[in-house]
Amino acid sequence: MAKNITIYSTPTCVYCKMAKEFFKKNNVQYTEHNVAEDEKAREEMVEKSHQLGVPVIDIDGEVHVGFNRSELERALGLK
Amino acid sequence: MYDLVIVGGGPGGVAAGVYAARKKLNTVVVAENFGGQSAVSADIQNWIGTKSVSGFDLAKNLEEHLRAQQDLEIVDGDLVTKVEKADGGFKVSTRGGKLLDTKTILVASGSRHRRLGVPGEDRLDGKGVVWCSTCDAPLFGGKTVAVVGAGNAGLEAVRDSLAYASKVYLIVRGEVIKGDPQTLEEIKKDSRLEIMYLAETQEILGDKFVTGLKYLDKKDNQVKELKVDGVFVEIGAVPNVEFLGDLVKKDQYNAIIVDHTTQQTSQLGIWAAGDVTSLLYRQNNISAGDAVKAVLNINDYLSKINRS
Repeated sequence: MAKNITIYSTPTCVYCKMAKEFFKKNNVQYTEHNVAEDEKAREEMVEKSHQLGVPVIDIDGEVHVGFNRSELERALGLK
Repeated sequence: MYDLVIVGGGPGGVAAGVYAARKKLNTVVVAENFGGQSAVSADIQNWIGTKSVSGFDLAKNLEEHLRAQQDLEIVDGDLVTKVEKADGGFKVSTRGGKLLDTKTILVASGSRHRRLGVPGEDRLDGKGVVWCSTCDAPLFGGKTVAVVGAGNAGLEAVRDSLAYASKVYLIVRGEVIKGDPQTLEEIKKDSRLEIMYLAETQEILGDKFVTGLKYLDKKDNQVKELKVDGVFVEIGAVPNVEFLGDLVKKDQYNAIIVDHTTQQTSQLGIWAAGDVTSLLYRQNNISAGDAVKAVLNINDYLSKINRS
């Protein structure tokens, strides 16, 4: 079954872009929240990750801070 | 056995890869990511041949150029963790468990953020302590932030912050600002910026998130506090050299000492280029040029040992 993936990002964040490119390359569907504008999503992100930095990636409740390709590959079962 | 292992995917590593492929050296490039430290830069206006490019696009262009080379092996998403001397060259180990035998190595592993080393910095990392201003500045809309460091990266962090924050302090340790005058002029026009000279950061304050910054005002020798929600640290870089152990000579900043005419290190068979070396100016264009110089010299060296 497809995993439920949410990415919290800002428009200028390069690691967010890298993460999204990585998802696209691997045909992974995701929901994106722009936390620069969406305050509710920002609060949600802080609550989940206990920190204020993007990207935050939630994979079925497993929260990843930052973009670490090998970590995401493992979490998504790609490798 | 490889002729050459290139360590790094920044402008140096990529330039080296392109030249090595054209010289038909049996080469592998090991890179965790492409683009180097300026991948996070919002806008680069001094990459020669390109008027303006984002760090993200520069990184993509570099990767594309590297991948366009025929017969060049690329190990990406991986990191060199150890280099050891071996018969006829070196053994290179990676985090991903690869073991690469090679005659020569070009170290273009760049550098990473220098940390302040003050209380609160580690504990509040990501909780108001910021290492990537382009990434996280938008999260400080309407808030007050302090940028520590007045080199180019510091000034850029100020510019990134002013787009969102209501107030920005620039904390300068000395009496002068070392960053580009052009950026400085631009940010100085904004009345929300306050520059604090001769201010030495002593502690980052806060419980769950950053609430303030404590500094020594060297003008009157008083310890003072600023109320801030974020601290952006941009105080320079430390070279990524740990995987080399004691194989090469380094300077007092732990940067690799090279012969600037050839980029050779103190260890025969190992060259280095870019921000990992003891060079005066840390620039994308310089890293690329130095790496090219290194590969040409490596090519000469390999022809010589292959002849003998």
